[in-house]
Parts: sequence; C-alpha cells; structure tokens
Amino acid sequence: MKGSNLGEFEELILLTVAALEQEAYAVSVKEELERRAQRTTNISAIHSSLYRLEDKGFLTSAFGGATQKRGGKSKRYFQVTNAGYAALQQSKDLRQDYWKTIPRLAFVKL
Amino acid sequence: MKPEEHKYRPPRMGERLLKFIYDESLIDDILGDLDEIYQDRAEVNGATHAKMLYLKDAVLSFRNYDLRRKRKVTRNNKLPMVSNYVKTTFRTLSKNRIYSTLNIMGLALGLAACLFIVQYVDYEYSYDKFHPNHENLYRVKYMVYRGGDLDIDCAAAVPRVGPFMKEKMPEVEAFVRAFPMESVFESNNIQYREQRVQIADPSFLTMFDYPLLYGNLEEALNEPNQVVITESTAKKYYGRTDVLGETLEMVSWPRGNFKVVGVTADVPNNSHLKYNVLISYETLNNQTRNDDGQASSETAWGWYDFNTYVALRPGTDPKVFDAKFKEVLWEERGEVFEKYDFRADFPLQPITDIHLYSNLLQESEPQEQGDGDTVFFLSVIAVFILVIAWINYVNLSTAKSLERAKEVGVRKSMGAYKKQLIYQFLVESFVLNLLALVIAVVLVILLTPMFSQLADAPLSREFFLRPSFWGIVGGILVLGSALSGLYPAFILSSFRPIHVLKGKLTTNKSGIMLRRSLVVFQFAASITLIAGTIIVYQQLDHMKNLDLGFDMTDTMVIQGPASTDSTFNSTMQAFRNTLTNKPIVEKVTTSSNVPGDEIFWTRGMRKLEDTQDKNFIVYLAGVDYDYFESYDINILAGRNYDRSLSTDTGNILINYAAMKSLDIVDPEAAIGVKVNVGGDTRTIIGIVDSYTQRSLKHDVNPLVFPLIEQNSNYITVKLSSDQYQQALEEVQATFDRYFPGSPFDTFFLDEFYNRQYANEQNFSRTFTLFALFAIIVACLGLFGLTSFSTLQRTKEIGVRKVLGAGVSQIVMILSKEFIILLAIANVISWPVIYLIMDGWLNNFTSRISIGIPVLLVAALLVMLIAIVAVGYKTVTTARTNPVKALRYE
Repeated sequence: MKGSNLGEFEELILLTVAALEQEAYAVSVKEELERRAQRTTNISAIHSSLYRLEDKGFLTSAFGGATQKRGGKSKRYFQVTNAGYAALQQSKDLRQDYWKTIPRLAFVKL
Repeated sequence: MKPEEHKYRPPRMGERLLKFIYDESLIDDILGDLDEIYQDRAEVNGATHAKMLYLKDAVLSFRNYDLRRKRKVTRNNKLPMVSNYVKTTFRTLSKNRIYSTLNIMGLALGLAACLFIVQYVDYEYSYDKFHPNHENLYRVKYMVYRGGDLDIDCAAAVPRVGPFMKEKMPEVEAFVRAFPMESVFESNNIQYREQRVQIADPSFLTMFDYPLLYGNLEEALNEPNQVVITESTAKKYYGRTDVLGETLEMVSWPRGNFKVVGVTADVPNNSHLKYNVLISYETLNNQTRNDDGQASSETAWGWYDFNTYVALRPGTDPKVFDAKFKEVLWEERGEVFEKYDFRADFPLQPITDIHLYSNLLQESEPQEQGDGDTVFFLSVIAVFILVIAWINYVNLSTAKSLERAKEVGVRKSMGAYKKQLIYQFLVESFVLNLLALVIAVVLVILLTPMFSQLADAPLSREFFLRPSFWGIVGGILVLGSALSGLYPAFILSSFRPIHVLKGKLTTNKSGIMLRRSLVVFQFAASITLIAGTIIVYQQLDHMKNLDLGFDMTDTMVIQGPASTDSTFNSTMQAFRNTLTNKPIVEKVTTSSNVPGDEIFWTRGMRKLEDTQDKNFIVYLAGVDYDYFESYDINILAGRNYDRSLSTDTGNILINYAAMKSLDIVDPEAAIGVKVNVGGDTRTIIGIVDSYTQRSLKHDVNPLVFPLIEQNSNYITVKLSSDQYQQALEEVQATFDRYFPGSPFDTFFLDEFYNRQYANEQNFSRTFTLFALFAIIVACLGLFGLTSFSTLQRTKEIGVRKVLGAGVSQIVMILSKEFIILLAIANVISWPVIYLIMDGWLNNFTSRISIGIPVLLVAALLVMLIAIVAVGYKTVTTARTNPVKALRYE
C-alpha cells in the first residue's frame, strides 16, 4: 500500500497529534503547527490529512468535548495508533541511517 | 446546547457548501472545527472578516470532496454486482455451449432478417423523398368518367391542365409537364436507343431536385431543340461530362440537331421519374403548331400523355384544392362535358405516394412500381421473425430455469433481493441480445450486396451509417432485452430458496403452458410462412403456364430502326423477305406493339349509327398481315387481313372485349358492322380472341388492330428452332446490312412478358428467404427445448429402458408432446393462411384457389423439420446405456 510511506506534511501532522497527546483535534493541530513549525495551513488541508491518516490506520478517533463555541458540535479527538508510532519510528530511523553516512566534513561549511 | 446561543453566526452559505462537500459522517465535527475557528477570528478581526475567511476555508475544502465518500459510494455501487452478473452470464454461456450457440444464433438470425427487411422497407419508402420540397409536390392524375363509370384512370394528364391550374389556382406555385418517349440519338455515326427521354418544361429543373452540374438554370430548356442530359449519358456519347454547347443528333421523331444546354447528375434510384435526356418543351410545341400558331401541346384537353406535376404553396390541403379545382374546371369545361356526356377530373396525388400506392395507366416506371401492401406485409413478417426469435430466448431460458434454480437459491440465501435477481437476469438478457445484435449487424453488413440482388433493390451500405439505423438497432436491443428478459427474470427470481435448495422444485404449471403456447405460436408462424411461399410460387407458376391466348415461345423481337425515310418501306420489305427465307426463321411480322407492352395509342370508338356520347376508349395496336398468325392468336369469327385485297385498309379487326363494348354478343353477328374509330369509318371483318395483351394483373382492354403494313416499332421474328445464339447472329447480320448504323436492340418475348411479374418474383424470393429464416430460428428453439426436456427425463428414460422399453417406444414418448403442439399449430395457422393469401390472390384476374394439399404439405414439411430437430436429441438419449442414465446426478 502506498500509504505505508509518510509524506512530509503527513509526518508533521502525525508528530503534532502525538505531541498533543489527548488534546489533538483539527483546530488544536492547526494551532500547534502554527506555533511550533511556523506553518500557516488551511483547515481543509488539516482535515484532509487527518482523515487520510485515519484511513491508513495511523490514527484513531473518538468524539468528545462539545462546546458552545463549536455550536454544540463535538470534537473529533485523534490519537496515534501503534502503526502510527511504528511509521514515525521507521521514518526517523531512515533519516538517522542517512545522517550516519554523511561525512562530518560536509557540515564544516555551515 | 442550541446553535442559537452562538455569539457569532457563521455564514449559512458556507455551511451549506460544506454540507455539500463532506460526507454525512464527517460533517458534524468539521462544521464544529470551522465554527470554532470562526468564533476566534470573529473575536479578533470582526465578524465580516471572519465570514470571508470561513467562506474561503469552505471553498478550499473542495479538495476534500472525495474524502471518505469514495469508499461509502463504492459500498452501495451496483457496478461490481453488474460485473458479477456479466461474469455469471459468460460462465453460464460457456457451460452450455450448444445451448448458448443455439440461443444466440437464433436471436442473431432473427435480428439479421429483421434488419434486412427494415433496410428494404426503408428504401421503398424513400422514393421521391430526396426532393427538398417533396411534401408539397403532387402529380395531377387524369380520370375520365363516362355514364358514371370510371373509364380512364391515368397517371399522365393533358397538356393544358398544368398551365390552367397555374392561371386559376393561386395555391399553385409552379407546374411542370413531362412527356415520356423513347428515341434514337446519333453520335460519331453510332446510334443509341434511349429509353428514358422526357420532353419537359424548364421548371423540371427548378421544381425537382435534379441538380445541374453544368449549365445555367435560367437558360436551360427555354428554347426549341435544346437538351439536358445526365452525367452518364454525356460520358456515353462524348466520353466526358463537360459537354455544354455540344450537338446531339436525334434520328427518330422529332429529328434534328439538339444543343446540349445542361448536364445533371444521374437520377437517383429512388425516383419514380427517371430520365437520361430531357428535351425542351418548345421543341414539341414547334411540332404540334397549327396554322393559327396554336400548339396543341399547349391547348389540348384530351391528349393524355403528359405527366403533370404541381408544387403547391406549403400548407395547402390537397383535398380542399381538388374540390375547388373541380368547380374551376367546370366553369371552363362544363359545356363540353355536358355536350359529350363525360366528366374529366384531375385529382392530385402526393409525389411520395406514387411508387408504392399508384398503379395507373401510363406510370412512368411501370416495371419498378412498388406495392405498398407487399412492403407492409414484409414489415409484418419482420416483426413476426423478431417475435419468434425473442420467444426462443424466453423458451430456452425458462426451460433452463431448473438448472439455474440452485444458483437463485444460493443467491437468495446469501441475501440477494428479488429485485437484484430480476436485475441479474435482465443484465443477462441484455448481454445475450447485445452479442446476437453484433453478430446480426455484421451479417447484415456482409450480406447486403447479396440481399440487394435478391430483392432487386439497390440497397447500399450507406444505410448503416445513418443515425436512424442505429436508432432502430438500439431500440431493438432495449426492447428485446426487456421483452425477452422480463419473463424469465420474474420466473427465476420467484423461486423459494428453501424449496430450491432442498431440491423440491417442481416446474410450475403455468410456465409449461406458456412455453407450450410459445412453441405453438412459432410453429403456426412457420407453417403460415411455408404455405404462403408455396401459394405464391403456385400462383406465379399458374400465371406463367396459363393459356394467354398467344404463343411467345422462340419469339425474338427487334426494336425497329429509327429512321423512316422515303426508302424505308422498300428496305423493310426486302429485309423481311431476306429474313423469312432463312431456315431458322419461321415468320416475320411488324407491329406497333407486342404482347406485354403497354399501349398508349387510344381513340374513341362507337358503332357508326350511334351518337357521339356512346364513344368508348379503345387501345390501338397497328399490325400487318402476319401478326395474328405469328403469335398464334385465335380469330374467333371472320377473317384476317388479306394481302390480295387492297380494300382491307378500310376494314378492321377488333378483340372480343372491344366487341362486347360495342354491345354485340355473338362474334359472328359483329362481322360487317360499321364502326367509327377516332373519326374514321371502318368495317369489322374479324373478331380476335381476347388474348392477354398485358399481364394477368390487368383486365383485358378493348383492342383494335388497324392494318399498318410497314410498322417501325417492333419486328417480331418467330424462330423455327431454339438455336437462339445462331438466330441472333444471323438476324443481326441481316439487320445491319439493311439498316446500317441503326441500333440493334432485341429481346426474347417470354422474358419481356414475364418481366411484368418481376415484382411478384422478387416478392416470392424474398418471402422464401424469410420463411426459411423463420423456420431455422424456430427449429433452433425446438432443438434447444428438446435437449432440455430430454435431459430432465434422463432418469425416467433409464428406468423405462431397464424395464424393457425399446428405442422406438422412447422416441415416441419423447416426441409425443411436440407432435400434439404441431397439430394445434396447424389448426391455428390454416385459417390465417387462408385469410391472408386469399386477399393476395384477389389481386390477380386469374388466380388459383387455395387447396387442402398446400396446407397439408406445409404442415408435413414443418413436422418433418421438427422431427429432425427433435429426433437427433431424442434418439441419442434413447440409445444411451441405462446405466449411465441412472447414475446421472
């Protein structure tokens, strides 16, 4: 399945959800992304990624926390699944692996 | 919490948009999310700004249109089921190869036959519809009533009526007259006889759609001695088509040099009015001008040789027009009508009706004249064949229902709805119909040239490019799938799963009844078609062998030379003498007409002492001394013309029909009676048998045979043997010697005469073909049906064999049912045959009667074919080892 690889934005979203622990829903994910990664995103892009990640099995969701601000509509809280963590880990390992092979001298210029 | 407690109300349009975009299962939390952001933004930036951003978010959400939706849509989609149905269909098809082939081939054959007929019928109906203005074009008929009886019913009218209509009737936009003739043209010292020559008004080219390739519409045919010719005629004479200004010499009447002022495309096949050469009308006017400068071809009210057409203003009702014109005509001609006690009428006839529904005197293309009834009849046969083919499908599918029952049971217990099963069997029927249709279309496209020859209609493959053809094909497909699929679908889908899976299914009574009645219908249709074919053949045979009153065996006819100059008579005499002296020639005679020819020369005739109102129309055929002897025509009383009596030019022979019209009963009493024929006084010296001058489809007209010693129209050569090739060579050599340069056109009289039955012959051939189609289809169905019923009774047969039944007994048991069905089919079809065919036979003046033998032969034939179809399967089943049969299942 194509979805076993994570895209850059997808990885970011997944990390954000993981970082937000119990409080991850679309709006909070959007805010967290803006705060931490200085990325302004459209809410539709967040929705798209969240639902697709759920379809891929990297996220699960549950309803809860309706507020007046939301017009009485409940939030959909997302949580990273084991598969999601594994995918993140895999992605991280892959990068790590590459980092190890890059000669240190290459960074001297920086 | 209620939405009303909102501080800021998000834009409704945005919400609506989102509801449209997102799936129902997602919309709640997404709306919540956007609402939350909206509230925050509204606090910071104000409601308007927030609303704008909300809308922007909503619009951008379009990218998520397929979010979650696809999977959900897929869950309810019928496509995978349809593909499963198609898969099942092909599995069932390949599981029973013979059955499937029979089913599809039967259907394909039926459809092919049907498409052929559609093509043919379409062609027949297309006549004269290529004129853009065809709805408003009419031909003016000429009808004459004498003493209340219809005396003349003619396609060609008088020359005056066209211009008269145009002058008096504002509805008439244009008129055209066309005077048909046959003439001989010369080019490069070679003479050609042209059959299709029309002397026509200039409006011929503007009123009809015969486009000029070269020439000017304003100038063509305006002056005397102009001709317009068709493309292929131009090629024949000059080898090229751009021949404006060339001269064409006409060596027969009205002789002279003609200037080519136009070249048109060739006349389409589906035109009732055909020409190769058009001659300007002024040419004729010059020929017929009297001393006072009046041309009778403009003023005559009694010379009916002019096909007259009018273009009416759009929206004119021809019926109203006819009634109005009757009054106008009375004002002009009433006095004459009163004086001579006759009435002439000029009703209009739509030009598009001429080919199929008109059978008048002097039709333009009598050999080609179609028959609306036949065409309609063929359409009925097409529907019949189609229905037979569909019935086959229904029969075979329901017969197979037992086999499919388990599948239905399993599907049902797996949760299939009845609706889905109906759908499945409809899809199956659609697939089968589609397969059959593809085969049928391929067959039809491949076989069109053959069929075109058989039906003697120039059908072309262009028909298949037309959208209307594909419309018909699509219609047949949809209708066929629905009609042939619905019944099996309902039967199969109504099986109860428990019964089926327990194997308790008994074929229900009504299903068997239906299948039986369908088989009966198929066989009744087949018997009807076979009997019909036999009867058509018998009638044709009857007509060919009937004593026509004259002899046409070994008779060769030469069309006379064109030039009739001063030396003609002596040349002709010498030619005759030379011919007669040849051993291969028995007799030579010249005449203005030959049997089988339509006579156009008419006069009024009455007893000399009678008043003019007793005049009746007679047809004149000029003959010489040897005519009656050469044709072996019986002289009932009196004598033939005699060479030794110079006074015979004042005498006349008439036929029996003419004698009757003179109110004379006894032929002997007619001899010596003085008559007035077209103003001349003649004495009757002989009464000739009413031989069949035209075909048996026409009544025998009163004929008068004036003596004209040197006719130039036809030279009949009666041969003494049937060495036609040798005779042809010898006669041609002699002809060329005496008439050098004249075209030698000849035909054998029997062929010429029987050409009048060409329509009937085509009809019978087509009819036979389709009868064959129907029978093949019916037999395929029967074969399939028997295969299944014997398969079902395999065990029974095994038991019977073990108990000592012989093969013949078993065959009897198995075929008994079909023989009973056939018997019923016969009972139904016989009266139908009688009704239909009796009507058809009434078209002929001499007809056969429908005998029981024909019906019996048809019945036996069908029974024989059925037994062969049933027999193969039953005998193989009956001969199988009972051990195999009992092990079955």
